[in-house]
Amino acid sequence: MAADARRPPALLSLGAGSAYADDRLDSVAAMAASGRVSYLGFDCLAERTMALAQVRRRQDPASGQDRRIAALVPLLRDYLAAGGKVVGNFGAANPDAARDDFSRALKEVELPGVRIGVIHGDDVRDLVHELDADLPEVGTTVRALGDRVVSANAYLGAGGIVDCLREDAQIVLGGRLADPSLFVGPICHELGWDLDDWDRVGHATLVGHLLECGVHSTGGNYEDPPYRVVPDPHHLGFPIGEVSDGSVVVTKLPGTGGAVDAMTMKTQLYYEIHDPAAYLTPDVTADFTGLDVDDLGGDRVRISGARGTAWPETLKVLVGVDQGWRATGEMSYAGPGCVERARRAEEVVRARLAPYASQIDEMRVDLVGMDSILGDRLRGGYPAEVRLRLALRSTSYDVARTAAHETELLYFGPAGGGGNTSSVVPALGVTPAYVPRDLVPVRTEVGVA
Amino acid sequence: MKLREIAASRSGDKGDVSNICVFVYDEADYPLLVRHLTADRVRDHFGALVEGSVVRYELPRVHGLNFVLDRALGGGVSMTLRADPHGKAFQSLVLDIDLPDRAPTGAASGEESA
Repeated sequence: MAADARRPPALLSLGAGSAYADDRLDSVAAMAASGRVSYLGFDCLAERTMALAQVRRRQDPASGQDRRIAALVPLLRDYLAAGGKVVGNFGAANPDAARDDFSRALKEVELPGVRIGVIHGDDVRDLVHELDADLPEVGTTVRALGDRVVSANAYLGAGGIVDCLREDAQIVLGGRLADPSLFVGPICHELGWDLDDWDRVGHATLVGHLLECGVHSTGGNYEDPPYRVVPDPHHLGFPIGEVSDGSVVVTKLPGTGGAVDAMTMKTQLYYEIHDPAAYLTPDVTADFTGLDVDDLGGDRVRISGARGTAWPETLKVLVGVDQGWRATGEMSYAGPGCVERARRAEEVVRARLAPYASQIDEMRVDLVGMDSILGDRLRGGYPAEVRLRLALRSTSYDVARTAAHETELLYFGPAGGGGNTSSVVPALGVTPAYVPRDLVPVRTEVGVA
Repeated sequence: MKLREIAASRSGDKGDVSNICVFVYDEADYPLLVRHLTADRVRDHFGALVEGSVVRYELPRVHGLNFVLDRALGGGVSMTLRADPHGKAFQSLVLDIDLPDRAPTGAASGEESA
């Protein structure tokens, strides 16, 4: 493309391999085989994933890591053999176990000699207890919650990743490595950018932000027919970032579905960003107010203009809080009078659960099809069908179980209730805290698998 | 007309805070967006779904606005009992907002945003 030819060639190309713990892996093989990228970044964590992983580790000390490693390594065999590098927060609650999984899987695919770097230091449960850290979103402190605090993990930046890469690690993994840092580390390492070169780190963070959510950049969470439609949404391509000094071209593999255009980029650029002049990560205070988005056509978009200032002096920590059990139960009502019958069913359930009120921390009943998501904000006509949805939280498993069962007993409530489902699952909340970064030492360990 | 006719949106969650970014397809519509899609307008449209403040950031270079809705997710994705704990549907609710129709061609407002 003519416009492209005047620009410096990309200095480094990186691909996204995963956006969360249960993401599809079927595009990883194609990305790895494409020869287009020298790094693959895997974000394996969302806000709650870390706390769930800590609970798994408490039940089984050998668990708590990403559960896809054995399936992933065969897809990466040839890529790794050719020198490709992989960075991910596969460790979740147990980085050593993730390293062991990689070692085992590499032996199985008969690929010796791969160096693995492990980053420790994100587990700050002791520290938040010592500091009695404030939990602003729930209006209390860590010690006030006592042993209900099941985990505390600080978001770590790119420093540990760079340290591992300097020691020739080919696979770098850790626990709660911040999402964009999975790409900031490789970019700064490969291009020789200092981690306090704030504008460049801001630019690298922009690249990481666009890649770490995977298909969110290429047509995922995007279509709204007839206004927004992308080709072949059943196999969206994962994004590739071709990084230059000051700009990045985002694209995807030919033959994959989805789109990379100005609008798919814009919607992702500010996703989960609050003040666009101060996007806080462990690496930088990034400024995305001066971005230019240049659609080059052919699923290629160039973005430039990210800046940065010094990193925040505190690290964000996600604190996992045991809240007991969450019960949900649903029952459908259809046809004439379905809303009135569902409301009557709600009265039945509420009356049946009234004796347990002191053991129920929060409870709601919604009608799916009426008001379960947007409350009273939109009103349509009379629905053809609705689905009663009970949700509650209790520290008593028995109360949660009883509540779920009451929705099943609605088969004997108002006429025509059908299709009951229910579940009781651990209620695990996560809430943010902030700790001085100096108090969070990072330790890395690089060795042959 | 509905905002949906001229703009795309996406909502995201961090803890109990939702952000919704909105971008016009045609940059000529950006002044209209800035004038009418105010923080108060969004606040009114979301009603009791949002308990805290609504702050708006302007993104003139990319013809968009970013709204930050505090205490908007019933305690956050891991705490809430809501059926849509992430507030993924917020991006659709915002597009339901009514805007005045565009001025006829030739009489388009050239007013600049602050």
